[in-house]
Amino acid sequence: MNNTDTLLHINNVTKLFGYGLLGLRKFRALNNVSLTMPIEPEILVIVGETGSGKSTLLKIILRMLVPDYGTVLYKGKNIFKMKSSEVRWYRQEVQAVFQDPFETFNPLRPVVDYLNDTLKYLLKVRNASERKTLIDQTLRFVGLSLEKVDGKRSNEFSGGELQRISIARALLSRPKLLLADEPVSMLDASLRVDILNILKDVKENLKTSIIYVTHDILTAYYVGDRIAVLYRGDLVELGPITKVYNEPLHPYTQLLLSSVLEPSLDIRKKVKPLKRSTIELKEFLLQGCKFAMRCPYATKKCYETPPPEIKINGRAVRCWLYAT
Amino acid sequence: MTSQDFVLRAVNLDGGYVIGSSEKELRFVHAVRNVSLNLNYNEILGIAGESGCGKSTLAKILYGAVDPPLVLRRGSIYLHTSEGRIVDITKLDKEDLAKRIWWREISYIPQNSMNVLNPMKRIRDTIIETFKFHGIEISKDEVTKYVRDLFDFVGLPTDVLNAYPHQLSGGMRQRVVITLAMMLNPRIIIADEPTTAVDVVTQLNILTFLREYQNSKKSSIVIISHDMGVHAYMDTAIAIMYAGSIVEYGKSEEVFQEPLHPYTKMLMSSLIVRGDKGLKRGIPGSPPDLRNPPSGCKFHPRCPFAMDICRKEEPPIIEISKNRFVTCWLYAKR
Repeated sequence: MNNTDTLLHINNVTKLFGYGLLGLRKFRALNNVSLTMPIEPEILVIVGETGSGKSTLLKIILRMLVPDYGTVLYKGKNIFKMKSSEVRWYRQEVQAVFQDPFETFNPLRPVVDYLNDTLKYLLKVRNASERKTLIDQTLRFVGLSLEKVDGKRSNEFSGGELQRISIARALLSRPKLLLADEPVSMLDASLRVDILNILKDVKENLKTSIIYVTHDILTAYYVGDRIAVLYRGDLVELGPITKVYNEPLHPYTQLLLSSVLEPSLDIRKKVKPLKRSTIELKEFLLQGCKFAMRCPYATKKCYETPPPEIKINGRAVRCWLYAT
Repeated sequence: MTSQDFVLRAVNLDGGYVIGSSEKELRFVHAVRNVSLNLNYNEILGIAGESGCGKSTLAKILYGAVDPPLVLRRGSIYLHTSEGRIVDITKLDKEDLAKRIWWREISYIPQNSMNVLNPMKRIRDTIIETFKFHGIEISKDEVTKYVRDLFDFVGLPTDVLNAYPHQLSGGMRQRVVITLAMMLNPRIIIADEPTTAVDVVTQLNILTFLREYQNSKKSSIVIISHDMGVHAYMDTAIAIMYAGSIVEYGKSEEVFQEPLHPYTKMLMSSLIVRGDKGLKRGIPGSPPDLRNPPSGCKFHPRCPFAMDICRKEEPPIIEISKNRFVTCWLYAKR
């Protein structure tokens, strides 16, 4: 893979987890997932419900989990075969923001210490006044300032403010890729949209690409350029977000999008739910398409053979319905 | 209002939490301020608000589950029972409530209800025990017969009866708890965030089930949620809470189409809908700390229309039209 035209290249990644009494039997938490992000900044949304493998994928990109099969290339370099100097570089290039802002920070430590540490140890900025300027600059980008933050601990901030500080910390190293794992799900509705606006700003003004992981279809639509839909470890659909939202191809994406409760009164006429529930593990162990047990179009083939990836107008979908 | 109209009526509820370790340091967190509400026959009433606005506390008080540190300082809750009497449930003792009111008249689906099941008991035994507590003896086989319809309704297979809670997914456990809450045919169901921990597909199933059940039994539901999508889908009437008070109340069509209170207006315009990628704005500032709330109207530090009086005095409840209320100085005639 040429290292100038792709930022991140996830190539057939599979991750196995054990289950059962001794964990000797395995299921695939991620099954042959491939994804490419271009070098031009974009916001890629990864959507999926609990148990879809979205967090596993994120942990692999962060080098916290090693995949059982497949490779992850960042700017052409395999991230699991890096020298320690390259790892440091990778840590600067790829940063993360997590779900719970109250768990991110130790309540006994002033939050500004976290920003200081990042500069001191990751970026080797020795000069204290230089660090202060950098911190103030970055905090201003997210709508705060050093003056407002200095000396305070996490309990003196609201969730929204902490999430801003968390983003500021991640931005200190001027990363090229920011991973955001459900950054607004713990926040109140009135504060949510401002954090999403910051993410948009980060892409537009700092030219940083973002992987936004969420189960919230509406915030995904608001910020996203492209969307990847995960179901039980399979990447079932990938494409530009407006296209996917206007015309979902995979039956799971269709179900997911039609289940969204929009805050408008028209919703009452629109939706019709599907009444079926299944045992999660049984689905993971299916030979063929993992959605077959809930799919209204399922045939015998769907249960037996995994569907291939089918490309339609710049989109990709894994479903036998579209195979010719 | 005639007594026929309401099934539950709360008058001037005022309560909160007494916190602190020693006698001297006791502090009061004022979580519910002077709240009056009517739950009518055959209606779904939504209570909306952000975290820390007191909506869950209000739910507990409405259910009569007032245990320390929660205290109710003032107010009454009148329940119109199935026998046609009217009782003030704040005057009843715990035993009376548990035997006569709870589950039979009012059921409560708590937040995180997926975690309330006893992990050591099969679902079947939990159900038998619930019946026994209310003086109904039921055998193991009868249980299956009894819950089949309800389980069918919520989309659970009957094998679930033999399962332990850990063998079920969160959404399935949540449905089990909802089934339990409905087993004795209560006339009122109070559901506190019934779908926060489940994915969107399951959420829609659970909500639709609640709505169909309400419709078929002509019962009444109080649904508490921070998610305006849930309210848009469910509510007949909606009450918006902010910092312990109800700031706006009305039929849900009216509130969604023409919000009156500045908080509701800003909240509605910050919501994201599909097909609109235009820039939205959140509400500046953050919700107040109930231990140390601002003076006057609790929303004034974040309100673009704040006037002098808003900082000094609490706004009155103003009736704009029949069954349409707003608590804001902007609408006061002076």
